[in-house]
Amino acid sequence: MRGLQVSLNQTQKIRLQRSLEKLESLSSKTNRNASVTVADTIPVNYEDGVLKGHGTSELDGEVVATLCGVVERVNKLVYVRALRARYKPEIGDIIVGRVIEVAPKRWRLEINFSQDAVLMLSSMNLPDGIQRRRTALDELNMRSIFEENDVICAEVRGFQHDGSLHLQARSQKYGKLERGQLLTVPPYLVKRRKLHFHHIEQYGIDLILGCNGFIWVGEHVGAKDDMVVDQSSKSEQEDVKSTTYPTSLEEQERTYTPLETRQNICRTANAVRVLSTLGFKGEAEQRSLKKKKG
Amino acid sequence: MGSMKRKSLEDHPSEESNSPFKQQRENGLVIADESVVCVHDVSYPDGYVPPASPPSVLEGSKAAKEFPFTLDPFQSEAIKCLDSVESVMVSAHTSAGKTVVALYAIAMSLRNKQRVIYTSPIKALSNQKYREFKEEFSDVGLMTGDVTIDPNASCLVMTTEIWRSMQYKGSEITREVAWVIFDEVHYMRDMERGVVWEESIVMAPKNSRFVFLSATVPNAKEFADWVAKVHRQPCHIVYTDYRPTPLQHYIFPSGGSGLYLAVDEKGKFREDSFQKTLNALVPTTEGDRKKENGKWQKGLVAGRAGEESDIFKMVKMIVQRQYDPVILFSFSKRECEILAMQMAKMDLNEDDEKANIETIFWSAMDMLSDDDKKLPQVSNMLPILKRGIGVHHSGLLPILKEVIEILFQEGLIKCLFATETFSIGLNMPAKTVVFTNVRKFDGDKFRWISSGEYIQMSGRAGRRGIDERGICILMVDEKLEPSTAKMMLKGSADSLNSAFHLSYNMLLNQMRCEDGDPENLLRNSFYQFQADRAIPDLEKQAKDLEKERDSIVIEEEDSLENYYSLLEQFKSLKKDVRDIVFSPRYCLPFLQPGRLISVQCTKSNETSPSFSIEDQVTWGVIINFERVKGLSEDDANRKPEDASYTVHVLTRCAVHRDEVGKKTIKIVPLKEHGEPVVVSVSVSQAKSLMLSSCSLVSFSLQIDSLSSVRLIIPKDLLPLEARENTLKKVSEVLSRFAKEGMPLLDPEEDMKVQSNSYRKAVRRIEALENLFEKHKVAKSPLIEQKLKVLHMKKELTAKIKSVKRAMRSSTALAFKDELKARKRALRRLGYVTSDDVVELKGKVACEISSADELTLTELMFNGVFKDIKVEEMVSLLSCLVWQEKLQDAQKPRDELALLFAQLQDTARRVAKVQLECKVQIDVEKFVSSLRPDIMEAVYAWAKGSKFYEIMEITQVFEGSLIRAIRRLEEVLQQLIQAAKSVGETELEAKFEDAVSKIKRDIVFAASLYL
Repeated sequence: MRGLQVSLNQTQKIRLQRSLEKLESLSSKTNRNASVTVADTIPVNYEDGVLKGHGTSELDGEVVATLCGVVERVNKLVYVRALRARYKPEIGDIIVGRVIEVAPKRWRLEINFSQDAVLMLSSMNLPDGIQRRRTALDELNMRSIFEENDVICAEVRGFQHDGSLHLQARSQKYGKLERGQLLTVPPYLVKRRKLHFHHIEQYGIDLILGCNGFIWVGEHVGAKDDMVVDQSSKSEQEDVKSTTYPTSLEEQERTYTPLETRQNICRTANAVRVLSTLGFKGEAEQRSLKKKKG
Repeated sequence: MGSMKRKSLEDHPSEESNSPFKQQRENGLVIADESVVCVHDVSYPDGYVPPASPPSVLEGSKAAKEFPFTLDPFQSEAIKCLDSVESVMVSAHTSAGKTVVALYAIAMSLRNKQRVIYTSPIKALSNQKYREFKEEFSDVGLMTGDVTIDPNASCLVMTTEIWRSMQYKGSEITREVAWVIFDEVHYMRDMERGVVWEESIVMAPKNSRFVFLSATVPNAKEFADWVAKVHRQPCHIVYTDYRPTPLQHYIFPSGGSGLYLAVDEKGKFREDSFQKTLNALVPTTEGDRKKENGKWQKGLVAGRAGEESDIFKMVKMIVQRQYDPVILFSFSKRECEILAMQMAKMDLNEDDEKANIETIFWSAMDMLSDDDKKLPQVSNMLPILKRGIGVHHSGLLPILKEVIEILFQEGLIKCLFATETFSIGLNMPAKTVVFTNVRKFDGDKFRWISSGEYIQMSGRAGRRGIDERGICILMVDEKLEPSTAKMMLKGSADSLNSAFHLSYNMLLNQMRCEDGDPENLLRNSFYQFQADRAIPDLEKQAKDLEKERDSIVIEEEDSLENYYSLLEQFKSLKKDVRDIVFSPRYCLPFLQPGRLISVQCTKSNETSPSFSIEDQVTWGVIINFERVKGLSEDDANRKPEDASYTVHVLTRCAVHRDEVGKKTIKIVPLKEHGEPVVVSVSVSQAKSLMLSSCSLVSFSLQIDSLSSVRLIIPKDLLPLEARENTLKKVSEVLSRFAKEGMPLLDPEEDMKVQSNSYRKAVRRIEALENLFEKHKVAKSPLIEQKLKVLHMKKELTAKIKSVKRAMRSSTALAFKDELKARKRALRRLGYVTSDDVVELKGKVACEISSADELTLTELMFNGVFKDIKVEEMVSLLSCLVWQEKLQDAQKPRDELALLFAQLQDTARRVAKVQLECKVQIDVEKFVSSLRPDIMEAVYAWAKGSKFYEIMEITQVFEGSLIRAIRRLEEVLQQLIQAAKSVGETELEAKFEDAVSKIKRDIVFAASLYL
């Protein structure tokens, strides 16, 4: 963007300033010209056998960027990481999405990707937990699992040949999200971490940072993860399980969210909003900030 | 199904559940049928509460499948478990009919509209099972590395590797599968691939049930306990030793003419006839002892000048007695072929059978191109097949292998030479099984076949419903001790032990999942389970030992200890001196017959060594000495000084026979009562170990010193008197020199021992001897006993130490250190970030599971594949999949050699980083495991050469090459995925191009079973 003249208002100017600063800080001292715009040549001078990754192309024997962003190098692979773009899924990402359509054997989800993601009926565990083939009856009952506009948390399973994205819900901790808020932040603000599920104990809330920039803040739901952890937790989990599927009025009362928790949810959501407008990245800061507020 | 209520057996878990301390409630019931015994046992997970109403939804409903024959008790037991929807582990012999259980499980799942997965260790076996199930159920699919047929079917047959990768990828099948059948689960102890089973079992869906089919394993219960713990569900064990056709085990001594019954069908070991066998063997052993030394593959010694070879005689006899069809197992591909060649004269088939064979053969070969039909292996095979003789080993073209299997099942092959691989998998029994060798080369040495291997292979003998009994013949060409034979023939099966190990691919795949944690996998592994299980035992052991040690109280312990350590030093020095002086280099010239020699007496009791400074010695006469031929071939190249020798010494021994006829020989002082016997003492660079050739027992024995006196000994020492007289002479000499002591050969003057270490040792011995005299404890009267007690105490302490060490290592998470080291290596190489998030490189490595993932990823990221031609790339990749060692393979041409050097560099760098991160790895070994042997061949294949053309370039077996190329294709497929995830489209296209270039003709000819 160097030497580019655009008329901007005050806020935009500040933001541009900030992002340019950011670019500078990201480009390490060793390789200058780390930030590129479309059609910029990426210097690969001395090396031969360079691998051109995402966001690059070859033009007249030169490697040219096809995206604005930061040049990343892994050994001889060169690729451009866009700073601000739509979400680009990778296998294993945790995402939060909203159901937009119930289709035959599948749900379509909006996940801020260039296409809608697909969650197959067979890619998630049935509520009864029985291992079996999906029948026509299951298909008819799909709305009892997820309806349009439900918010769902899932994992990216892979891409089909046509480029469409398939999701899966590996265990019980994925699935419908209830009693909370969905926030949308630019996806580049969410860093890929080992953990995307956070349980903030002091407020009794769950925070799910979807890699696609959708963030869920909601009342804490007991983990129903049945990967073997240890014996004692199993029985607890059983109890929790029964509460999460309200059947009778009595139980419905138990699922009532106390006011305090609601306030906490709102407060946290607001914190996330503030942080995202300020352009803070990651989640560690968010958590620390929340503690201050508390 | 009236036949099913043979024995009513009920599970009553509630009965024993009242004991709160018993964590593992079990109820074992043994059904003792007259002949058929099966053990049924259940493992419950900790704190398992059986559902109030057992899930016997199916009660009263019909059985999912009925069989046209009467089920054996173990089968109906296992099926009962299936009916109550609980996992079961069936452990029985190969021929017993475990498939029935699998069939029932499949039928049941299909009835309940559930998915069922059947996994087997081998692609070929998967193909065969697919065919078998397809005929039975129709809704069956197959997935192996080579083919995928109908992946949406309800019943999927696949290899275990495919099942594992499906679980990592979270395929929808994992959410629909109700039953998983693991066939041949004892493969879990396989060093290389066993870990795949552990991963698949640990990661398997929690709500599905399992059927494990395994060969007989003694610790089936342990395995079931593990499954119960990991999956928190009860797991039944049905174990049986039962064989539908009983076996008779015979021994055929080489050079002999008959069979000797060793174990009859009731499982009784026949001592008498075993001894007869040994006697039949003796003449050959002594006759051409020299000739046979070092030649272990006696089967290869073709008939001596015109005589028929043993193997020929054997087959002739088998045919005469109508013991055919017969499978002859040998342990190498070459041997297999050579043996089959020796059968050239034999013709076992009628004319109509020959015509049949020809039709089947050519109809199978039809799918090959005309050029491939002309392959020597194809054209040479038909003539021997027509005579009813077959060969089956992994070096054959897969299609030939399958034709032979089919012909064998049709009974058109009467005599099949096979390697061990034939003993696994599909039911292909014969009436007789012959072991052409009793020793097997296991990578570094020839060893006896283990009882487990014997059981597996002998399981092929006896066709159910056709033969009354199966016959097993062991060709023995060397002395076999009854105990060894008994162990081999009657020993228990090998137990199922974990062969768990970590791989980078596994770690990365685990780390990529949100909740995947490699530590979790480790914690749930069978390896950890087995280690944990040992702890209480070890604790108790340590406690007992400590108690015992503390109970020993000794007076003046300190000074005694001092004395003890002096004594130890003294002994070790003496030993050093002896080792120097009596190394063949020095003593060889003095080992003439007739020289008097002093040897150490055999200790009466091994556990309490003597503590006097004087050793108990006795005298004998040297008869002769000879060079020991070792098992390794390089012996011949050794210098005479380095070789090992045996000295035959005539001395007095107490010979003791126990009731089994086993002899124990003790050397005793001359004056004591005993027989004069010739014993042999070995003289070698290493340790003095006696190898007794004239007795069946071996024990350690040491030369103490050589005297300068020589006697004249009679030529013939066979008569007892001659020996007695010689010994008398020895005593005379001894009494003559009684006063001044026997004149000994002085090491320095006579034997010219010139070595600094010798002189040093001698000086130190002198110094120590002085110390002994001064030591006050030495005068104590009870010194001997006291020292013995102290020695015991020391030994106990050492034992406690080792037990405690074992305990420490098992309480810690197994592999914890290695896990850390490997994670460190991954971070260092940039595969994961410091907080264990998988990076781009790691994602590439995740995709690669058929070759070394790190080396390959590095190669890719270094752009090595970028500039080279497709053929060169394929050829380079072949180094990563080729594992056999070829002795004198030709060097690849320069361009390829250059690439190979590049590969080696990368591999070395990767290995070095690992080493720096404290991963246990031998860098050079790792680098040399990449072999360029088939580079040229693969290059030519990728260029479009015909298969017969590339077979001319290389000396490898056809089958091995095909396997390598198929595996290469697998790697390429994985690389395509990897390139996709990087976004490098050109490279992706290149890999795809490579696949299309190698995937053609005979190498990828479809299996006949499909």
